[in-house]
Amino acid sequence: MSGAPVIRVDGVSRWFGSVVAVSDVTFDIAPGITGLLGPNGAGKTTLLRMMTGLAATSTGTVTMFGEPVRDNPPLYRRIGVMSEHETVYGFMTGRQFVRTMGRLRGVSDLEKAVDRAIDLVDLAHAQHRTMETYSRGMRQRIRLAGTLVHDPEVLLLDEPLNGADPLQRVHFKRLLLQLAAAGRTIVLSSHILEEVEELAETVLLIVNGKLAASGGFRAIRAALNQRPYHVRVICDAPRALAASVVRLGAVDAVHVDPDGAVVVLSRNVLDLQLELPRLAKSGGISLRRVEPLDDSLESVFGYLVER
Amino acid sequence: MSSVYRLTLRQLTGRWRILIMTVLAAMPVAIALLMLQGSAPSVREFETFVLSAMLAGSIAPLVVLAIAAPAFANEIEDRTLANLVLAPIARSQIAVPKLLAAITIAAPFIAVSAFATSYVAFLGDMTATMAVTIGAVAGVAMYASAFIWLGLVTTQAIGFGLLYIVVWEGLFSGYVAGVRLLSIRHFSIALIHGLDERRFAFGNHPSFAVILVISVVVFGGFLWLSIRRLRQMDVP
Repeated sequence: MSGAPVIRVDGVSRWFGSVVAVSDVTFDIAPGITGLLGPNGAGKTTLLRMMTGLAATSTGTVTMFGEPVRDNPPLYRRIGVMSEHETVYGFMTGRQFVRTMGRLRGVSDLEKAVDRAIDLVDLAHAQHRTMETYSRGMRQRIRLAGTLVHDPEVLLLDEPLNGADPLQRVHFKRLLLQLAAAGRTIVLSSHILEEVEELAETVLLIVNGKLAASGGFRAIRAALNQRPYHVRVICDAPRALAASVVRLGAVDAVHVDPDGAVVVLSRNVLDLQLELPRLAKSGGISLRRVEPLDDSLESVFGYLVER
Repeated sequence: MSSVYRLTLRQLTGRWRILIMTVLAAMPVAIALLMLQGSAPSVREFETFVLSAMLAGSIAPLVVLAIAAPAFANEIEDRTLANLVLAPIARSQIAVPKLLAAITIAAPFIAVSAFATSYVAFLGDMTATMAVTIGAVAGVAMYASAFIWLGLVTTQAIGFGLLYIVVWEGLFSGYVAGVRLLSIRHFSIALIHGLDERRFAFGNHPSFAVILVISVVVFGGFLWLSIRRLRQMDVP
């Protein structure tokens, strides 16, 4: 991580009764885009809420620009937060909402700032409609405009792409990259690996309330690629295929299910993907289906935590 | 601060809410008119049944509960409170305008109701009428401060508020003498007595100065609790 940390999370834990939501997490965040990645229920939102000051820590401290974030309202001049909740003041027009957010944040030259924020999220055409008529994606965008209206140095965004259509996603990603290039510090929470991969230079992997891994995305991706995968193969000659596959270096174990499917355990799925068709062709075997059995994000995160 | 005030005014002025408040506020006037149809009630009877039990003990707290409790409770339930809390303003600049907005909406209903009721009952005696109106509005302010706080500490604010109105203000404070020392209904009535001792020269109430201090403490105390709660709570 280069540059001085803007956000410092130091030994932070949070529990609700006997349930530990976040456990002894420590990291620094520098300018640029940092992805807070983890499966649903991993503790990302709780962690993000503590980083914004909306929730208290049970132990540990969160500081931003060297100041505590909790009970420190003046700091919010420099921070923009977009929570995961999509509720808006339905009776307000989009423009009224952004104007209210700007006024609350003490923005000077308010109308100009409102115009700029609404243009950034490409909602000028709908700014005078009440927000109860907005689609889910439009609500997300107007909330982002409200978050950006005071031109904050730090952006904390919790699952911001929820409800956005593909076009909006492209627009949103471009906008975040522009803001990061302009020196903003952006923390983006998501449970979607590819979403974070496209945007974040640095990734913080949160699993079961713990920091499972952190660093550049490539390093984390490489760690993910080295994990063992179970792959299920359905073909017309399972025993013959199993005999051939077991000789591959990328394969750790093979067995044939009672229903005739070949289940392969491999630490190098890329090699397996390349070798399987070749083996099938040379053995005259017809492949009907190849499917990963544990490709869910939870299993990926679970593997990293167990390491 | 004006943004929070204006926002709250819009949030709390739904059509149904206003209609219910209008009906509630009209009830004491109707009862006063009905009482005058029979033999004219004594001031003590009028105070007991209309001013204390009905206006200060039921109608005013119900109207204020319907307005003040949702001021924060709805924001918490809708998860929009973060919009305000994440602004670089002191927590008092959120709580105070919320409270002022609730009073702005509720007070006119109760003031008009109290004015009309006492004007009818006291046959145009303006001193008594103004005393009742001011006492009722002071009650609105105290109830509003209490219910604003209640909306911050529980999502069941309306339920707990109703329980408080019926059990504490309605039942206990009417029959248990000591409870009157902790009853907004009785503070409100004591203020009326203090403002027009000539008309309301009965009952055992603390002096006007004492009751004024108590009213300010109740109003300010709940406001302070609300501000403290905003600073310490986990905002959803």
